Order: sequence, then C-alpha cells, then structure tokens
Amino acid sequence: MTDLLPFLVIGLTTGSVYGLAAMGLVLTYKTSGIFNFAHGAIAALAAYAFYEVKVVRGLPWPVALLVAVVVLPPLVAMLMERVTRALAGATTTMKIVATIGIQLIITGALLAHYGAAGLTFPAFLPADTIELFGVYVGIDQLVSACVAALGALGFFVFFTFSPLGVRMRAVVDDPDLLSLAGTSPFAVRSWAWLIGSHFAAISGVLLAPLIGLDALLLTLLVVQAYGAAAVGLFASLPMTYAGGLLIGVLAALATNVVSGSVVLSGLPPAMPFLVLFAVLLLAGKRRLVDIGATRPTPPQPPLLGPRTARIVALVVIGIGIAVPFLVGAKLPVYANALVFVLIFSSLQLLVRTSGQVSLAHAGLVAVGAATFSHLAVGAGLPWLVAVLLAGAVAVPVGALVAIPAIRLSGLFLALATFGFGLLLENVVYRTGLLFGASGSLPAPRPDGLGGDLPFYYVLLGFAVAGVLLVAAVGRSRLGRLLRAMADSPTSLATLGLGVNVTRVTVFGISAFLAGVAGALYASQGHSATGTPFTSFTSLTWLTVLVLCGAARSAAPLAAAIVFAVLPAYGGGEADGSSGWMPVLFGVGALLVALHESSARRGRSHVSAEWPTGSRAAERIGSPGRAAARERVAHRDVDSAVRVRVGAAGGAR
Amino acid sequence: MFELDSITAGYSGSVVLRDVSLWVPPRSVVALLGANGAGKTTLLRVASGLLKPSAGRMRLDGVDVTGKPPHVLARHGVCHVPEGRGVFPHLTVRDNLTIQATGGSAAEAVERAVSAFPILGEKLNQQAGALSGGQQQMLALAHAYVIDPSHVLLDEVSMGLAPVVVDEIFESLAKLAASGCALLLVEQYISRALELADYAYLITRGGIEFAGEPGELDGDQLTAKYLGTPLRS
Amino acid sequence: MTLRVDGLTVRFGGNTAVDGATFEAPLGRVTGLIGPNGAGKTTTFNACSGLLRPSAGQIRLSGKDVTAMVPSARAQRGLGRTFQRMELFDSLTVEQNVAIGREARLARSRPLKQLWCPPAERTEVREATEEALELCEIGALRRETAGSLSTGQRRLVDLARVLAGGFTMLLLDEPSSGLDTAETKRFGEIVIRVVAERGCGVLLVEHDMALVMSVCEYLYVLDFGELIFEGTPEQVRASDVVRAAYLGSEAA
Ligand SMILES: Nc1ncnc2c1ncn2[C@@H]1O[C@H](COP(=O)(O)OP(=O)(O)OP(=O)(O)O)[C@@H](O)[C@H]1O
Ligand SMILES: Nc1ncnc2c1ncn2[C@@H]1O[C@H](COP(=O)(O)OP(=O)(O)OP(=O)(O)O)[C@@H](O)[C@H]1O
Ligand SMILES: [Mg+2]
Ligand SMILES: [Mg+2]
Repeated sequence: MTDLLPFLVIGLTTGSVYGLAAMGLVLTYKTSGIFNFAHGAIAALAAYAFYEVKVVRGLPWPVALLVAVVVLPPLVAMLMERVTRALAGATTTMKIVATIGIQLIITGALLAHYGAAGLTFPAFLPADTIELFGVYVGIDQLVSACVAALGALGFFVFFTFSPLGVRMRAVVDDPDLLSLAGTSPFAVRSWAWLIGSHFAAISGVLLAPLIGLDALLLTLLVVQAYGAAAVGLFASLPMTYAGGLLIGVLAALATNVVSGSVVLSGLPPAMPFLVLFAVLLLAGKRRLVDIGATRPTPPQPPLLGPRTARIVALVVIGIGIAVPFLVGAKLPVYANALVFVLIFSSLQLLVRTSGQVSLAHAGLVAVGAATFSHLAVGAGLPWLVAVLLAGAVAVPVGALVAIPAIRLSGLFLALATFGFGLLLENVVYRTGLLFGASGSLPAPRPDGLGGDLPFYYVLLGFAVAGVLLVAAVGRSRLGRLLRAMADSPTSLATLGLGVNVTRVTVFGISAFLAGVAGALYASQGHSATGTPFTSFTSLTWLTVLVLCGAARSAAPLAAAIVFAVLPAYGGGEADGSSGWMPVLFGVGALLVALHESSARRGRSHVSAEWPTGSRAAERIGSPGRAAARERVAHRDVDSAVRVRVGAAGGAR
Repeated sequence: MFELDSITAGYSGSVVLRDVSLWVPPRSVVALLGANGAGKTTLLRVASGLLKPSAGRMRLDGVDVTGKPPHVLARHGVCHVPEGRGVFPHLTVRDNLTIQATGGSAAEAVERAVSAFPILGEKLNQQAGALSGGQQQMLALAHAYVIDPSHVLLDEVSMGLAPVVVDEIFESLAKLAASGCALLLVEQYISRALELADYAYLITRGGIEFAGEPGELDGDQLTAKYLGTPLRS
Repeated sequence: MTLRVDGLTVRFGGNTAVDGATFEAPLGRVTGLIGPNGAGKTTTFNACSGLLRPSAGQIRLSGKDVTAMVPSARAQRGLGRTFQRMELFDSLTVEQNVAIGREARLARSRPLKQLWCPPAERTEVREATEEALELCEIGALRRETAGSLSTGQRRLVDLARVLAGGFTMLLLDEPSSGLDTAETKRFGEIVIRVVAERGCGVLLVEHDMALVMSVCEYLYVLDFGELIFEGTPEQVRASDVVRAAYLGSEAA
C-alpha cells in the first residue's frame, strides 16, 4: 500500500488540474450547448503564450503569467461567444466540426510555428519538496493542486448560489425564452465563456511544467477533461471535479502497474477513454441529455438536375481514366486519392446521410488494412477475396462502435467513437495484434495488375463503385428513413420502424466501405501500418469532408482532392495532416460550419417566385380546391361556431 | 399604450405580415383572431421583439422600441407567454419561476405562482419537461403572475388545459385586466376571448381584416368574415 | 383488434401518475379518455405504445399481451399514435412526413426491407400518402418543410402521417388543440369517417368537450391516475363527480 502512496499523490495533483479543466469544459457545454473540442488547445495556447513572453521575449514570469491567464482568456472568450451565437440552431455535427476546426487551427499553428518537438517549459514555481503523509511532494505540484482545487470550489459556490448560475442553465434550453424573461442571453453566455477560458488557460499553465511544452500533448488535455466530464454525466460540476481526480489517480496507478509491460504501456494515456467509454455505455440514455441538440439540416437541394449530374459524373470518370496520361510521376498521389474517395464516401454516408458523427473512422480503415494483410499474406487468400473480407471484418468492429450509437446520439456518439479510436490507437495498435510486432505488415497487389498503371484503374473501379453505392443508399428507403430518424426517432419507432436495426445497418455499410478502403490503402502502399490512422486523422477527415460539403454528393471526391492531391502540389507534404495544412482545413471547416448555420437560420422556405405577399395567400391560389373547400366550410361553420359559442356561453 | 404601426414582417424569403397596425390601449383587453397560419403568432413575436419587423414602427408608452431585443422590452413590462414550449424543460419548476421573476425575489415568485396554480406547488423540484402538457402550460402562464407586467401577450394559453382550468384562467385574466394590465389575447375559444375583450382584431392572411369593438363582430359577421372563407391551406 | 388495458399503474419515483386504470377501446368505435391536467392520460398513452414500462398491469392487443414489447413491435400489430407535443420530421416536407408514416411500417425491423423498397410497396406508399393528404386537406402544403408550419398546420400533418400508416387502433393525444374552430369541426368528421370506412378503433384524449361529446361513443374519465367514471357522453355530462373534477361550467 505504502509504495502506492506516491502515485496516489501524483495522481491527485494532476487530477486536480484535470478537474479544473473539465469544469470549464462542462460549464461552457452546459451554457452554450457547444462541446468545445478546442478546450485543450486553449490550454496549450496559454502555455505557449507564457513560454513566448518568458523565454522568447525574456520578460519576468509574473508578466508572462499575466498575459497567459489574464489577458488571453477574454480574447478567446470573445471569439467563442461569437462562434456560439453564429452556431445557434446549427446541427450537432456542425457544432462539433466548428470547434474541431478551432482546435486544428490552434494546434496546427502552434506545431507549425514552434515545431513538433517538445520544448522545456520554464519552471516558475519553487521546485523544493516537502514531506506530506510520508511522501515527498514538490511545492510546485502542491501549489498547482491547491490553485486548481480552490478555483473549482470557488466556482462551484458561485454557480450554485448566484442567480447567474440558473440563467446559465436556462440559456441553452431556450435563449429566446430567457430573453422574454428579461435576461440577455448574450451576457450570460459571455460570462460562461470567460470563466471557461480562464479555467482552460490556468490548467494549461499549471500542467505544462508537469508534462512539458508539447502542443499535441497539451491539446489532449481535453481528453482527460472529457473523461472527467463523463464521470459527472456532462452535467454535475462537483462530480466532474471528482472525475478529474479519479482519472489522475487511475492513470498514475496504471503507470505503476503496467511499467515493464510493453503491451499495456498504452493503458495510462487511454485511461480517460476507458472511463468515458464505460460511462457512456453504462449510464442510462435518460441521464445523458444532449444539451442544445437541434434539428438536423434540411436536405440540401441538389446543385444540378439529374441529367446534368449524370453527364458531369461521366465526364469526371472520363477525367479519372485520363489522369495517368496527364500527371506523369505523380500517379501514386492520384492512386492514393482514389482510396480516399472511398474513405470519404463511407464517412459521408454516416455524417451527411444519417447525421451521425463517427470519430473512429481511421480506426476502421486501419482494421481493414491489417485484416487484408493477414488474409492475403498470412492466409494466402486471393487478392479480391482478401479485400472484400477485410471489409466484412470491419463490419462487426463498426457494429461494436454502433452499440453506443444505438443508445446515444449526437455529441455522445461523437465522444464515444473518438474514445474508441484512441483506444485502438493507444492500446490495440501497440499490442501487435493488428500490425504485428514490428508495427508494419506486407501487403500485396493483385496478380498481373500490380503495376502502378493497372492498379490505378483497379482503384478507380472501386472508387466509382463506392460512390455509386453511397448515392444509391441515399436515395433508397434507408436514406429516407435516416433523414427522418435524425429528426425524431421516437415517432419513427411508434410508426413501426425498428430504429436500432436502421442505425446498425448504416454503420455496417459504412464500416464495410472503410474496411475495403483500408485494404486498398495497404495494397497501394505495399504495406499495412497504423501510423497514418490516428484519432487526429479521424478529426481531420471529418473537417475536410464538411469543408467540401457544398459539393453535395460529390463531396467525397472533392475532399479526396483537397486532402490527398493538393498537398502534393503545395509544400510537397505527403498528405494533409502535417505542416500548415491542418490550419487551413480548420479555418475552412469553421467558416463552412458558420456559414451553413447562418444559411439555415435564414433559410427561405418559399421559392423565389413569390418575392412578396403572404405565403398563406399564395397557397390558396388554386381556385378549384379553394372553391370546394369553401362549400364544405360554409355548410359546417354555423354549427361549429354554435358548438364553441354554446359551450363557452355557459360560463356565465 | 402599445402601438404597432404598419408592421411588415416574416421569415427570410417569405413575408407573413403585411402592413399591420394594432393598438393596445392602457388597461384594455385586445383579442386577436384569425385562422390557422394567419400570422397571429408571428405578430406576437414581433411585438415582444423576438422577430424584427422589416418595416414599420413600434411604440411602447410613447417610446420608440422598434428593433429592441426582447429582454429590453421585457424590462419595460412586456410579458409574452409563447405558444407551446414556454418552459425551460431541463430546469426545475422552481428555477423556471426564479428566472421568470427577473431579479425579483425567488420566494415571492414561487408564492405568487402557487397561489395562481396550486398544482405547481407540488412539483417545485420536478423538471419542467416531465410535467404534463397542461401543467407546463400553467408554468408558462405563471410568468404573467410572478412579475407585474404592464402588457401581457398571450398566445393560445388555454391550449391543452382542462375546461375547469380554462374557466379559472379566464377569471384570472379578467382580474389581471382589472388590475390595470393591458392584454393582447390570441385564443382558440373565440367567444370567450370576445367576452373579455374591449377591442378585437381579425387577421386574415397576414393583413388586418377587421378592427373594432367585439360587439360589431358578433354572429353572422364573425361567421362570414372569419370562418366563412376557408383560410386554412 | 381491441386494445385492453388492465390495472395499469405507472410510477415516477414517489408519485403515481396512473393508478390501476382498466379500460377497453374496441374496433369501430371512438372511445374517449378525458380528465384534468396531469391526470395521467399522456402517461397511459406512453405505456400503451411502449415508450414507458408500466410498474404494474397489462396491455393487450386483440387478446395478446404486448406489455413487454418495444414500440415498433406494437406498431407492427396495428397500434398507431400521435403526440401531444407534435413530433414531426421537421426537416422533411409535409409529403415526405406523411409518406414515412406508411414506409416506416413497411420497413419494419428487417435490414433488407429497410434498404430496398419493392415497386409494389412504392405504389402502396404513394396511394396511402395521397389519401391521407386528401383526407386532412393539406395537399396544398405538400412541398412545405414541416418545421416552418404554424401549430394548427402541424397538427394536421401529424394526423395525416398516422392515418397514412394504416393502423387499426389509433391513439390520438389532444389532436385538436391548436386547430381553429372550423378545422376542429372538420377533424371530428375525419375521425368519424375513418372509423366508419376502415373499421378501425380510436382512443381520443381531448380537452375540447364539444368535440369529445360529438364524436365519442363511450368515455372514460381519469383523475389522479384513477378511473373515476365511465359511460356514454350523456351519462358523463350528467355526472356530478365528473363535473366537479373536470368539466366545470362546460357541463352546463
Ligand atoms: N419559422 C418559420 N419559417 C417560415 N415560415 C413560417 C415560420 N413560422 C411560421 N411560418 C409561416 O407563417 C405563417 C403564419 O404563421 P403563424 O405561426 O404566425 O400562424 P398562426 O396564426 O399563429 O397560426 P396557428 O393558429 O396555427 O398557430 C404560416 O403560413 C407559417 O407557415
Ligand atoms: N417523466 C416524468 N417524471 C415525473 N413525473 C412525471 C413524468 N411524466 C409525467 N409525470 C407526472 O405524471 C402526471 C401525469 O402526467 P400526464 O402527462 O400523463 O398527464 P395528462 O393527463 O396527459 O395531462 P395533460 O392533459 O395536462 O396533458 C403529472 O402529474 C406529471 O407531472
Ligand atoms: Mg400560432
Ligand atoms: Mg397529456
């Protein structure tokens, strides 16, 4: 027991900071209905601001602290309040994408400017140790823990007893109604973002000395915060803080237990996700209310008429066939892009057609790649069989992800899938179960079609088939049911549809496509590895797809070009997940999300033929119907009025 | 005195109200009638600031309040009880009342609401979303009782309420009016609304078709003008 | 396909919303379920359609106990309902809303049925949609997005959707609230006509007594979750108990 004590103390100190960060996250979520995926990035930003002032500019540390936790947060809060207002009434998907966009911008910019290698964070608190319960604790750690605990406590008291607290909870239910009751929703939300940003900034500055100045690591602070927030069921602030402590302690203890085991070394960082996943699975659906979830976007009118669309599609395929003769040595780039057409198609099916957000897609693709290698090389199956089976194996994995989807929706599905993706990445990839001990497996190409040129055409065939499949599903009965389900699953169920079956079916189809794409990716690159398929990749994919949403059903194609082709002509990067590209994607996705929700609020329900005049008046236009109705009405009205008047007349 | 002057308003791309003028004199009850989809709700949304008119002026006790946000109008005594979802479903009944009281005393708000609707007293700690439909309607209507508004805009408040409760509500509306508060009433029980009203407006396809004393609107004329033409579409 | 409810009890934590209610809604008849606000009518509907698990009691459809079935399975057996707070598919058009009423029922819980719609079913869906739109007279609204309709218009869409489903037992929760006078009258005619033509049964929750008295053949009165009276509209109107608990001046 005593040898566990040091871990317990370390766990509590970091856990206290996690708790503070998580409270900020829950607060802003509860008041804006927006789950801020950029929360960790704000913490990172504050830590880097401190670094910039202290180390780069050489000013004393109190100044640096002032800039990081006093000057910066209000600026961030102002930005976030604007975003919140602009996102009012947006779909859950758009809200998620907007904050992921902000996260990509901040993290991407920090990485690109300061480099990916971790920097040493200047210690500004005394590093002496004192003895506490027989354990030596650094004063800096103790100060961090206490600051975090005091902040959390103070805020909890404020939230419970100040009238602002109740209003903060009301604003997300119905800002209009709050406004009718005489309180400005704008002011209430600004306060929430101000407090939330401060908490993020403080936790960033407190955490940086403990884990070093690493933009990605600090961004993933939000991950610990998710876990903690889940313990509080995304609603209770004290439980959220307790969740932070719990996760800190669990991670510290796990570090102790698994030290020495390579297989389990991924466990401590994955701890918050285990917690998150467990809570999402165990907590009843009723206890997890997706705050501020609104109606999904109405189906967008197609850009082109059906005939034009068909012609355009044929032209695009024609260009696809001609590409090898036009691009010379860049052919592999285009072959790769074809695989991405398939990946984005499968994502499109989930995100656009069914309105569900999956952040585990990279994991599904990785599963497909690994399975393919095992089947084609390990079991020696024919190439095509192995590809299709790789898709088939991804289906049960997709179904596993779909289990939370059956019970949860919107944000919680996104979080659960993100957790699942990180679990795959941190634990399963490392075990060698997927990619062997070396982390990389060989992957063959089909016999006789192994050259770059013939294989390009094989990929083209798959890509076309995938796009057609997704389009067909969108037009099928399943597509219609999915659009209805996004609005009201309850009434669909009472109309007789087995909605759980629907959800699993669509996840299954999407997973199949992702698995096949994984096999093709491996085959194209001659090897299967997990490196390109991190959870960060999943986030980037989603943003890129949304970025290209204006292309309607051609979005997967556009996304593949943006993600896999453009970077090759830009800075010579391999794909869209390094350098300044993520920043650009982030900006783009944010703009698209904002634009789409403003278009949604101002959506015209009337065609342009009637620029003025009442819609009701216009509708009565057809004389035949109106006349018929008039007759009916005349006959009935007298008695109808008498009934009501008679009934009411008795009141006196 | 609440004046709406030549209001034109709608949702982007569609104009619902055209050149509508309406006065709510002090201490009076004004009934606003019209078929489904005529634009009654839209007019109330304009009046309380939820919807900005694209043309026209609004004056509250002589002060121009055109384009003012709802919370500013609310502080000037305008109380809008919206159609349908007028409660914060994830908050308890008590918290709902606290918010309605805008800065006033929470305890007093609860007391007033409970004396108007005793059933709410038993549900103070229940989430508003778990109330029955009628109980939610009572909670929404309590807003008019927990503050002392100068103008109350009511959008089909009797919807979903039991006949006994409707009786009570009309009685208490009469009291509210007698205490000096002006009411703008949209109601499905037309004759009851007319009984209470000092003035009536009839709105057809987004335009005012009739304005005057309820007496003039009785019987045949009501039937012919309001119900004789099938406004529903 | 009679709906029979036996000793239904639903508790929410400490308080009992429905307390041992027993009643029956046979085919070919409009049965009314009335009672004060908070009496437990909507809760009863939720238990019948499977959105709530009752604490005690049974629900039978044509003799078969369906108490443990999920909502979709009950709908498959012909039980349809509307919602007091209308649950429309707000982003779809009126026509699509109504069509889904039939399509959901055809698709059931079978993955293949959900994926593919055979041509015969396509015709069936179209016909059912047209009939329901016609019946509710909302054909002119068919291309409007459901989310942009006024309250009264939404009620009619909700009704049309459940009518398109071709259910044999309809539970209607305050279908006329928000409808104007003429439309309420019209609604009464639709219900009577549907029952006469299709021979289905209707269980109606309503606060508009004029409507209830004119369309219902038999009434059950709930108060505080308990059945306090049952009988024909005339008997209910004459009952002192009901007048005190519910009707007030309406009964005069
Ligand atoms: N958000 C919206 N976007 C577009 N059109 C709308 C919107 N809300 C209402 N409308 C349209 O404006 C018209 C007037 O609607 P409004 O809600 O004011 O009617 P109402 O008179 O209150 O009807 P009811 O008695 O049914 O409540 C209707 O034709 C409706 O379709
Ligand atoms: N989820 C819930 N949790 C707690 N109490 C509930 C819940 N749902 C309903 N109740 C309570 O149960 C009682 C019955 O509610 P129900 O909605 O069935 O009433 P109703 O008869 O439909 O009334 P109305 O005519 O007002 O719609 C009410 O007192 C309500 O507050
Ligand atoms: Mg209205
Ligand atoms: Mg009810």
